[in-house]
Amino acid sequence: MARLAAVLRALARAMGRDQKSLQSVVGNNFFIVSALLLQQAGTFIYLIIGLVLLFPLSTDPLRKIPASRLALWPLEARERRLLRVVSPWVNPMTWIIAGLALWAGRGKITLGLWALAAGLVVAGFVLSDLPFAPLNAVWRRIPQFPTALNHLIRKNLREMLATLDFYCALILSLMTLAVRAFGPPIPKEAFLALSVLVVLALSSYAQCLFGLDGRGGLSRYHLLPLRGWQILAAKDAAFLVIVIPLLLPVATLAGFGAALVALAIGHEPSVHRYRAQARWRFSSGASVMLGIGQAAVMAMTAAGISLTSVWFLVPCVLAWWISLWISGQIIDREAAW
Amino acid sequence: MDSLSFSVAPGAICAFLGPNGAGKSTTVKMLTGLLAPTSGAVEVCGLNPTAKPLELKRQIGVLPEDLGLFDDLTVEEHLLLTGAVYGVEKHVARERTAQLLHALSLEHGRHTFAAACSHGMRKKTAFAMALLPNPRVLFLDEPFEAIDPVTSKIMRDLLESVARRGITVFLTSHMLSVVEQIATQLVMIRKGRIVWDSPISELPQALEQHYFDLVEAPVVEELEWLGSPQS
Repeated sequence: MARLAAVLRALARAMGRDQKSLQSVVGNNFFIVSALLLQQAGTFIYLIIGLVLLFPLSTDPLRKIPASRLALWPLEARERRLLRVVSPWVNPMTWIIAGLALWAGRGKITLGLWALAAGLVVAGFVLSDLPFAPLNAVWRRIPQFPTALNHLIRKNLREMLATLDFYCALILSLMTLAVRAFGPPIPKEAFLALSVLVVLALSSYAQCLFGLDGRGGLSRYHLLPLRGWQILAAKDAAFLVIVIPLLLPVATLAGFGAALVALAIGHEPSVHRYRAQARWRFSSGASVMLGIGQAAVMAMTAAGISLTSVWFLVPCVLAWWISLWISGQIIDREAAW
Repeated sequence: MDSLSFSVAPGAICAFLGPNGAGKSTTVKMLTGLLAPTSGAVEVCGLNPTAKPLELKRQIGVLPEDLGLFDDLTVEEHLLLTGAVYGVEKHVARERTAQLLHALSLEHGRHTFAAACSHGMRKKTAFAMALLPNPRVLFLDEPFEAIDPVTSKIMRDLLESVARRGITVFLTSHMLSVVEQIATQLVMIRKGRIVWDSPISELPQALEQHYFDLVEAPVVEELEWLGSPQS
């Protein structure tokens, strides 16, 4: 039993550290703007964030031990079985679902709601135990681009798809699409607000474009015979390839302008204030003030395009291009960027 | 690094040796333009890496210390990316990619993402990336560590072959037995200073002994608890 207790303690420590990395949501623009500006009206956004967070929160704690290491440990068969049964209780989500079951038993929440929550947690648990292979198959199907930067853009797309930010934006976009298809008519202003929200969900990533490349990736960028602006353009291309389809159900042009200014503002912190990011977590921006500023400029830009003219896009493109050039120069100049 | 001064002739295989932390990787970084020297001058292929970084990058192939791979690209995609950004024609890049994958026994793992590759596969991928653009100089930071003996032999043969064709090879390694077989020039450093620089033919004794004498003598400590009754 002492061996099992030691393994469970290590597991709880690893699980705690892993769940701390979910705190990156606090530095995410989607959360910051909801918490500071929308407050009670942001409940809708909290629900989306909560839904997206449920999956990484529900992972199987036993995954934290490499399978080869677990197999090598001198545990008896009885201890291994016990470990399988007890380890899910290291995850707080298991206790929450158990607590909700008690509530459901007392009639405080409906059985259906409990079943939904439990189903999502179980799905997250089971999915986390699946091998990475199915995802690899999807990753390989990322389209090709007719440029020398093709594989860089594809890599950047894969990185973006491995952040939770994308899934928040996807939920918003799909919900708008569903309302457009089956719901009552929505005023034009609502689409404008939704387009800003879609870009807002992805805007923190624009502040840490190199966060998922790791040290190896950064040194490779320095070895490739490419200009700094080309490296950044490959990042931006991937960002826009993801944003534009998500904006199709909302105010597309207004959102496109907002995406360009999000990138323009995000270039400088991306190259000057490097922040490593984790996969399957929310991107964390450079600072709260920058996040609020970025969100404000994005909202003004989208409103400008929507309420005045599509020509408002011209200064957006110009701002993006200037920012791309200046930050590209920083990459060229600073070997240790 | 302190008062480091050496030159390597075209077509030479120069082994840069020293203990961990002696400054081998720092030197490679300075030679490849990843790190600017605080003083002194570096010249590779007649180019200053700080003044003409892009021109230099087009002429060299590098296997960096951290291998410089992207987790989200497959082995084959890394090679195709290299071909595209070095301006190698598409069909030539595909041909060279196929040859390199075959030569380095990477064919079976060509569609494996770098994040899922073994260390040996990652090293071979980075080595293939260094060769693909047909560079004038190859910089290899610990190329023989953590690879199987067959691949090590293939890499050695490849390096000897490219050196015969005039490509200069500059490598760092701790595998003295391998270095002794292929190097034509030896540079040894200790605490950032050169302690030996000569053609390998001028070594006064076996490389390992010379290294122990000049760079670092091994000190073996007895771990007396090993082999005692288990507790």
